[in-house]
Amino acid sequence: MSAATAEAPILEARGLVKRFGGRRGLFESSPTVHAVNDVSLQIRRGETFAIVGESGCGKSTLGRLLLRLIEPSEGDVLYEGQSITSLPSRDMRRLRRDLQIIFQDPFASLNPRMTVGDIIAEPIRLHGLARGAAVRARVSELLGIVGLRPEYADRYPHEFSGGQRQRIGIARALAGEPKLIIGDEPVSALDVSIQAQVINLLEDLKERFGLTLVIVAHDLAVIRHMSDRVAVMYLGEIVEMSPVDPLYEKPLHPYTQALLRAIPAPDPKDRVAPQLLQGDVPNPTDLPTGCRFHTRCPHVQPRCAQEHPALEDAGGGRLVACHFWREIGEAEPGIGADDSADTALSRRLEVYRTFQARREAEPSTPDINQQGGQT
Amino acid sequence: MSRPQALDDGTMQSVSPVTAPVLAVKDFSLTFKAGAETNLVESVSFSVSPGKTLCIVGESGCGKSVTSLALMGLLPSPPARIVSGTAEFNGRNLFAMPERARADLRGNEMAMIFQEPMTSLNPAFTVGQQIAEGIMRHRDVSKGEARAEALKMLEWVRIPAPEKRLDAYPHQLSGGMRQRVMIAMALANRPKLLIADEPTTALDVTIQAQILALVRQIQAETGTAMILITHDLGVVAEVADDVAVMYAGRIVESGPVEAIFGDPQHPYTIGLFGSVPSLGRRQGRLATIKGAVPPLDLMPKGCRFAPRCPLADSRCHDEVPPTVPFGDGHSAACWYAPIEQTMEARQ
Repeated sequence: MSAATAEAPILEARGLVKRFGGRRGLFESSPTVHAVNDVSLQIRRGETFAIVGESGCGKSTLGRLLLRLIEPSEGDVLYEGQSITSLPSRDMRRLRRDLQIIFQDPFASLNPRMTVGDIIAEPIRLHGLARGAAVRARVSELLGIVGLRPEYADRYPHEFSGGQRQRIGIARALAGEPKLIIGDEPVSALDVSIQAQVINLLEDLKERFGLTLVIVAHDLAVIRHMSDRVAVMYLGEIVEMSPVDPLYEKPLHPYTQALLRAIPAPDPKDRVAPQLLQGDVPNPTDLPTGCRFHTRCPHVQPRCAQEHPALEDAGGGRLVACHFWREIGEAEPGIGADDSADTALSRRLEVYRTFQARREAEPSTPDINQQGGQT
Repeated sequence: MSRPQALDDGTMQSVSPVTAPVLAVKDFSLTFKAGAETNLVESVSFSVSPGKTLCIVGESGCGKSVTSLALMGLLPSPPARIVSGTAEFNGRNLFAMPERARADLRGNEMAMIFQEPMTSLNPAFTVGQQIAEGIMRHRDVSKGEARAEALKMLEWVRIPAPEKRLDAYPHQLSGGMRQRVMIAMALANRPKLLIADEPTTALDVTIQAQILALVRQIQAETGTAMILITHDLGVVAEVADDVAVMYAGRIVESGPVEAIFGDPQHPYTIGLFGSVPSLGRRQGRLATIKGAVPPLDLMPKGCRFAPRCPLADSRCHDEVPPTVPFGDGHSAACWYAPIEQTMEARQ
C-alpha cells in the first residue's frame, strides 16, 4: 500500500528495553523478566504495521512502550521526531489525543458503571473538544461511525455482545481524533464472523481518517490480510522485519519459517505431516545464550549458542537476525502467492457478495439491522 | 471404512454393517427454560465411527459445547432438560441411562478434554496423582500400578522428562504441557470416544501444531473415535473426517470434510469461509456475515440464519428448511440448496 518514502516516521523506537522484577528483598529476590530487549523500529505514516509473536514474546509490552503506557528501562520513543519518554505528564496527556489503543478484551477495558455515552464522551470532555449538547451530538456521530445506533449511548457495556463492545472501544479511541491507533489483539477474542466485521471496520476507519495502525497480534492470517509491514518477535527481540508479502512468500528467519509452517493448512487436500518446532518457548527469566532461538532452531550451529545475531539488512526493506539466513532461506518454501483459484467456494462467495450488495441497496432491511445495525 | 450417509430425514448413519458408529445421536433437542418456545439445541443428528474424527464447527452460542456436555452427562438438570432424542453409545441410549451407569462410562469408555487445561486440572494435586486417580476409579489396580500406568501415559503423550513431571503440580507446567497431561488423563482408560472441546484454542500456533499432530497419531494407534469441537476452520481442515456446521442450535450443513471445503452449500458455511482471511495474497475486503446471532427469545421460527442471510426471503423466515442431501453423506438445511441452480434461476 504505502511505498517507502524519505518522509520522517510518525513513531520511532530506539533501543527499547523493558525489564520487569529483579527487585531484591530482605529474604528473596524476584527474578528479572527480560520482556523487551533492544528493539528499534520506525512506523511510517499511514501504514499498517504488525507486531507478531507467540505468548510471552513481548509484543504487548512493546505496544505499551510505544504509547508510554509503561516506562522503558532503557531506550527512547519518538513521536513526530520528538522524544516522548521524558515528556512531563501535562504534555504527555495532550499527546494521548494523537496516540490511542484498543484492547483485546473489550469488556475488561470498559468501565461497567459508566454508560456507553459517558465512556465515549470522557476523552471529548478531557481534551475540551466539545461542550454541552455538542458532546452528545459527537457521541452519536461516533457511534454511527462504528456502526452502532445512537440510542445505545444510554446503555451499559454489559448489555452488548463482544463485537459490539469492541466497536464501543473503537469509538472511544476515535473520540480524540487520533493519528495513530495501536490495536492489541483487537479481534482475537471475537467469533470469526464478527472478527471479519471488525477487521473491515478498522480498515474503513484507517482510510477515512488517514490513520496509522499498529496491530499487535498472533493470528498470522489476520496479519497478512491487514498489514503492510510485519515485525516478528521472539523472546523480546525482533528476529525479522519485512514487507508483508515477501515475509509470507519467502520467510528468512528459521522462527518465521516455523511459525508459518505451524498454521493448519486451510484446505483438507493439503494435509501434510509438517516438520514441527519442538519444545516450548524458554523462560524469559533465564534466557538462552547467543541467539535466543537456538534451543529450538532446526538449523542450529555451534556459533548460534555463543554469538548473538544482530538484525542485518537483507535487501528489499527486510531485516533479519540470523547468522545463517542466506544458507537457510533458499531451502524454505513460504506460502504461495496464488490463492485465487476458481473453486466452488470462490464462485459461491461471489453469489453471496452479489446478493448481499443487492440487499444493502434496498431501502429498508429491518431484519438485518435488528441486532444493532452492525455492518 | 464407511462414510456416514445422509438419509432422507437428514440423519447421518453409517452405511456399512461392519463398522457400526461408536456414537449415533438422533433428533437431539435441549432447552434450559421450561416451557420455552425455542430450544437451545434443536433436532441435532450425527454419528461418529471408530478411528474417525467428527468436527462440530460453529461460533459462540451455536450449541456445540452444550451438546458435548449433554453427551458426557455433565449438564446440571434442572435447568438443562433434554426435550427429545437418543444418543446410542455402544448400543445403549445415554440419555436413558441412570446417573451411576453414566459415571462409570465417564473417564472410562468416553472421555473429554477441555479448552483451558488449567481450570480442569486440580491445582492442589500432582499430575501423577490426578492421572492415577482416574485409572483407579475404573480399574482394579493398586496405587503403585496406577502410578506406573500414569508414567506410561505421560511418555505416550511425549512429555519430556516424564518421571520428573509425574510429581509436578499443574502450575509448574506450560500450557502445551498441561494440555498433554489432560490428553494423557483422558486416554488413560483407552476410551472408545474422545470429545475435545476447543483443545488448542488457548495455545500458541506452534504448540497447537504439536498437539494436533499428537492427537492424530494417538488416534491412528488406538482407533478412538473423536468429536472435536472448534470454531477454527484451519483446525477442521487439518484433522476432520466429517464435519457438522452448527448455527444457533441447529446443524445447517454436514458431510465429509472434502465436501464441506470443496463444495459448501449453506449460505452460513459460505459466509464463514469468506470471513476468514486467507494466508495467500490479499484478495480485497473480507466477506462478512451481517449482524449477530439472535438471542433465544427472538429466534426466527423458520430458518434461524434467515435474519443474516443475503439470500433469505419470506419463506425462509417462516418455515424451517428441509435437509437436502447431495450424496456421499453431504447435506444442507436450506430452502435454496443446491445453491447454484437456485441462484441461476433468481439472477
